[in-house]
Amino acid sequence: MTGDAVWYEAAQVVGITNALNVAADTLGALGAVDEADGPAETRALFAELRDFYGSDDVPQGFRFIAHDPLYAADVWAAARHAFSDNRLARRFKEALAFAVSVSTRCASGATLHLSQMRRLGVSPRGVMEIVGVTQMFSSYTKIADTLQLEPDMGDIAPEDASPAPGGPPH
Amino acid sequence: MPTVRLRAAAEYPPAAQKLFELSRSWFNHDFAEPPAMSRVMAWDLEFGGPHGRAMKRAMAPGEFTRGEKEMVAAAVSGINACEY
Repeated sequence: MTGDAVWYEAAQVVGITNALNVAADTLGALGAVDEADGPAETRALFAELRDFYGSDDVPQGFRFIAHDPLYAADVWAAARHAFSDNRLARRFKEALAFAVSVSTRCASGATLHLSQMRRLGVSPRGVMEIVGVTQMFSSYTKIADTLQLEPDMGDIAPEDASPAPGGPPH
Repeated sequence: MPTVRLRAAAEYPPAAQKLFELSRSWFNHDFAEPPAMSRVMAWDLEFGGPHGRAMKRAMAPGEFTRGEKEMVAAAVSGINACEY
């Protein structure tokens, strides 16, 4: 996992996962959009979501934010980009999103990303690997916070001197 | 500033020195002093021992690589707003 590009990619997954989990967990009062009554944009969006996730279900967060179909389409474009195979494989990105969902106690997000991990070939043992990392670092972080430990391992990894994508050399 | 005084490695008993050796090998880095978390976990080996073994088991390469797991660990630490 050397070089900054993979970390930027991971950060996108973490950020957009949290954004979708926040909506899924808290916007029930808005009511889920019924695509039969919605505009063509909503039907097209939900069709894309079903295709991407290989499921008849549309993730709950999108059903809530689809009250503004143009907003939802932009959120989906960002999410689709973040979760697509790139330097990091989609299979791993779903595992990362699962860890984020478990850490933020988002049951619907954990269910979604667990089902995606399994669909993409992760075995029960592989799922437990991610559960283990998530649980152990949920412990280490709270021990560190309780004792107010200061970071002391920042110089282990070398700095990436490459420029931003398309930019001039550093 | 830490809530506790972090002891230097030399202040720990021989059993803890083994844990510091494992820590050096785990991180593949020659620390001047073991990382603060290693010294915290060495305070009580009846907790730190099994906790460390569970961590090593979880982080070992399997269906996901060690690097991928380090990335998951970084994300979980970020979600928990932990600077350490």
